[in-house]
Amino acid sequence: MSFLYDFITRDKKRKPLPAKDRSNLPFAKLGFSFKEWHDSHVNTHKWRNRRWAFLIFINLLFVISFALDLSILEGSLSGSRLIGIYLMDPFNSAQELIIGSRTGYIAALTTNFWIGFFVILTFYWLLGGRAFCSWVCPYHFFAEMGERVRAYFIKKKKIRDKTYDISVKYVFWVGFLLLAYLTKELVFENLNPVGILSRSMIYGPGLALIWVVALLLYEVFGIKRFWCRYVCPIGVTYSFVGDVSPVGVKFELDKCGYCTDCQDVCLVPHELWFVKKGAATKEVHFTGGDCTKCGLCIDICYGEALSFGFKAPSYILGGDIKEEKELHPLEVPVEEEKKNEKA
Amino acid sequence: MAANNPKLSRRQFLKASASAVISLAVVGSAAYYFKDKSSVLKTGVIRPPGSRDEEEFLYACIKCGLCVQICPVHAIKLADWDHYLSYGTPYIDVNQQACDFSCDAIQCAETCPTAAINFKIFKHAGDKAIEELTKKYNGQLPPNVNPFEVQIIAMREADKMGVAKIPDPNQCLAYHGHGYKGKLGKTHSLLRPPGSQERIYIDEVEVNREICDLCVAYCPLGDHAIELKELGNGKFLPEIKDGCVGCGVCQMLCPTEPKAIVIEPFKGLETA
Repeated sequence: MSFLYDFITRDKKRKPLPAKDRSNLPFAKLGFSFKEWHDSHVNTHKWRNRRWAFLIFINLLFVISFALDLSILEGSLSGSRLIGIYLMDPFNSAQELIIGSRTGYIAALTTNFWIGFFVILTFYWLLGGRAFCSWVCPYHFFAEMGERVRAYFIKKKKIRDKTYDISVKYVFWVGFLLLAYLTKELVFENLNPVGILSRSMIYGPGLALIWVVALLLYEVFGIKRFWCRYVCPIGVTYSFVGDVSPVGVKFELDKCGYCTDCQDVCLVPHELWFVKKGAATKEVHFTGGDCTKCGLCIDICYGEALSFGFKAPSYILGGDIKEEKELHPLEVPVEEEKKNEKA
Repeated sequence: MAANNPKLSRRQFLKASASAVISLAVVGSAAYYFKDKSSVLKTGVIRPPGSRDEEEFLYACIKCGLCVQICPVHAIKLADWDHYLSYGTPYIDVNQQACDFSCDAIQCAETCPTAAINFKIFKHAGDKAIEELTKKYNGQLPPNVNPFEVQIIAMREADKMGVAKIPDPNQCLAYHGHGYKGKLGKTHSLLRPPGSQERIYIDEVEVNREICDLCVAYCPLGDHAIELKELGNGKFLPEIKDGCVGCGVCQMLCPTEPKAIVIEPFKGLETA
């Protein structure tokens, strides 16, 4: 466990690079004031629009595949078949496996189940883990709309934002698996807004939607993005593969103006810890497993310091952990000098 | 986040965890409480053919609905929250649409990724039938025998969803020697009559029977499952035999109100 923790927080534990002084900030280099630089940026919502289009497309594909009897994307988000290839929801599968380990049901599961389980994990490993959340999950879409309603009430000073410890989701993750083990039921599926919404869209609405509406109302008037941030074990499952994913949101320190606006729009701002003044420990950082790759931060960034990027294989494997231990703190500025010489 | 102050952060984490554990405990107790009330079978509906025992079925089913999508007569529906832990699991309400086996290959079982609807039972039965058939003809099938049909019939009979019962013979039209004239059924349901290749809507077909025998005439399993027995004095009553698998076509077509023939869900499903 501690190795995993070290692995995930390895960048954070390094010695921070010295903060850039004012003259080295990107807008100063261009001869602008921060305000001029800020106002010159037009947010085209490029990634948000692409993402919404994709999310609606994929959910619509589920709906029309059933309604028009097309064999393209059958099933629901709990389990589906994409042109003949099975895809299984990883947390549902995890619950089933943990119950199966107790009752011996694992032996009864079909090959298609195993294919679906591993295909989905591999797929989201390649695409950055929680990319599922922002690019596919219908609940995320409604929660995003809810966030806008919430922003209105915050502006009116009716409610206040407060953040809680995000690690509580691991308690829920273990807890729901434990509940499955103890009760021999897929307990979480009865409360899973992702499955409920998906099934409601495809097979027609039901009573279970009341729970989804209640959750959304709680997210608007109670805790901001309560379910996605602090509870959803599906997101946690995807975040595990996301930690070692080859893609992530890439951060380039030299283009950053320290405004931290990206953290304000982010669902998981702790993943953007390096944007604060004097926090970055390397010239280039990547977001970790909790990042949903939604692209809101990329859209809002005035200096284009954030973008989608590929991690080096040695970095994914944690090759720099060893390196880190041998590195003398004084060597860091030397490296920086070398880079400056090149530029 | 209070990450800069480890003490505060730990306290915050413990506080959040405490609420998480409490809510999980509530959810867990609710799951235990509703466990006994959860089976949809208690509401008189049946599970798709090949379904495992209820206890196993409830966790084996991943609630994806692939069986719903593949069923050509749309017999399978998903249970809602009013069935508690059965939420999202498939069932068949035979009053609306019974399973008439017109997909031939028990496709809902074949498509189920978690084998909650267990295809192995049917595959095994089908293979065995073919094996016996070839043995009977010493490895060479005569041209007039279609092994596919033999296989399909064996598969149909391989598993019980329930069993038909006649709770009160007085309800039955044939018992009083009555005939039936009118629509084959009141609901807009699909049915492939035995021996036919085409599906019909039962509310679009007119029938005229001297003695009402719809349950016998349209049974997908034929005389293995149900036969009309003469009781004398012009009285008749269907007799349900061992071959009945509880598909529910008889209940769907029964013209009386309440239905004279009903399916009792089969709870002692043997698991392979």
